[in-house]
Amino acid sequence: MREKETTIYLGPQHPGITGNMMVKLKVTGDTIVKAETHVGYLHRAFEKLMEARTWLQCFPIVCRICVPEPDPNEENLSRVIEEIEGREVPERAKYIRVLVLELSRLATYLLWMGGQSGSMGLYTMPQWTVGDRDYILDLFEQLTGGRVYHMYIWPGGVRRDLPEGFKDKVLKVMDYLERRLKDYDDLLFNNALFYKRAKGVGIIDKNKAQEWGVVGAPLRGCGIKHDVRIDEPYEVYDKMDFIVPTYEGGDVWSRAMVRRLEFEQSISIVRQVIEKIPGGDFYNKIPNPLNWRVPPGDAYVKTESARGEFGYYAVSDGSVKPRRVHARGPAYVHGVSLLERILVGANIADVSFIMNSLGTCPPEIER
Amino acid sequence: MKLQIENEILDKIKFTFHSAEVRIPRHQRIEVKLRHDLIHPFLGYAKNTLGFKHLSHISCVDWLEDNQIELVYILMNYENLVEVIAKIRLNREKPEIPTLREYWPQIETYEREIHEMYGVDFIGHGNLTDFILEDWEGIPPMRRDFDTVKYSKENFFHREGREDAQDVRTTITKKSGEEIPELAKVYSVRHLE
Repeated sequence: MREKETTIYLGPQHPGITGNMMVKLKVTGDTIVKAETHVGYLHRAFEKLMEARTWLQCFPIVCRICVPEPDPNEENLSRVIEEIEGREVPERAKYIRVLVLELSRLATYLLWMGGQSGSMGLYTMPQWTVGDRDYILDLFEQLTGGRVYHMYIWPGGVRRDLPEGFKDKVLKVMDYLERRLKDYDDLLFNNALFYKRAKGVGIIDKNKAQEWGVVGAPLRGCGIKHDVRIDEPYEVYDKMDFIVPTYEGGDVWSRAMVRRLEFEQSISIVRQVIEKIPGGDFYNKIPNPLNWRVPPGDAYVKTESARGEFGYYAVSDGSVKPRRVHARGPAYVHGVSLLERILVGANIADVSFIMNSLGTCPPEIER
Repeated sequence: MKLQIENEILDKIKFTFHSAEVRIPRHQRIEVKLRHDLIHPFLGYAKNTLGFKHLSHISCVDWLEDNQIELVYILMNYENLVEVIAKIRLNREKPEIPTLREYWPQIETYEREIHEMYGVDFIGHGNLTDFILEDWEGIPPMRRDFDTVKYSKENFFHREGREDAQDVRTTITKKSGEEIPELAKVYSVRHLE
């Protein structure tokens, strides 16, 4: 008997979808024949808004481009301005930036662990990881004043110095997270059910990964070693000692293992920053921010965010406002063209499982 | 030697594309300005011969004063870790360029968005349908001459009783009775628009 083809609309309101987007699926039985991504539920015209704001007024906008991980946006925009202008950043500020970026990576991985296991019905994990992420948000609150959006990194350095006793607090949280990793391993990463569910699902072809524009953990999960922190070291990553884990397979399992191994590396980087951070200035003061003209020019900078290469292309025409700011999020590629391809042949129940493993984040697609 | 790899690539590009303006802005970066009809052969050459296999992204800049639209292609080579930024300028009245879908399948999304937001026509794309906007008519919204204030006045209305709360600064000063300093007045959001 021939099975009938049915159309299913998954999202925009669906607990398994990572944000406001919709995937239109054509299925026969349980198997997906064709997938089509529909975005547009979240467009806030950030790039257009930025053209009507001064450079500094852009900072509260950019951090909202990615909700779980706003810091790479701030860091990127600061660095792209610094590159156009040729502004020096004090060494201490660079270390603090790395600290913030790595803490934000840890927070994002915790959130991802929750999402990944939640999408397969393992609901204990999100309860744990979201609770543990709060310890990192507490650190952010003490450092920047904000829990989720920080607006802390800005051109010339960072807004404030580390508060008193902050380093000890960071180390305590790192010790705690390291202890907790054992629990996460027991519940998720050493779990036979997770292995069986994730192995061989959502496979990215290693030979096509580069052409398809795959970045970050999904690329390293294909066995290709590429990390912006190593390939084009920014801030003080060249002074940090860490490895870039890779895993063969290109499926959800290998992406999960890459992230699991990176989690330890991030903890190690945070400890190194606390150990090596020098004294001195944390901010190279910019002139009057209301009348701050960035010289004409353009630049492209990128950061290794928790979900892959995050890039900013900015153009200045010498006025107080940017001519153009373009944010390149990893989800732009992962969430549309890649997702549409690797969903074909998958099971309906695996859609949100695969989306989580790719780190799809609709605000980044629409900006 | 410093910038050795970059200089080697620069020489190769200059040798193959005589009319291209090539420069090295910094370590690991090469900027290429091309005639618009050369972008197709250039990207094919960069991908297949020079090994720039990863397309980071495509950006678009509207140069209203010059009546031109600039397309910026950013490519990366994972072997020697150099990035190429290729720029072309199109006529703003009728921007047209052949699609590059055959080189990178993911380009489809970028081209769809640029078509929607800037009105650039990618010939042979085949799927230039609505991406983020729905049933949009008139000037593409990311163009510099698109009047955002006029558009929002025509399409949206203020909730009753909220007519005065349009400029935050003015509203706050009205309530508190404080004067806005001259400096801040000049750079209020309304002035920027």
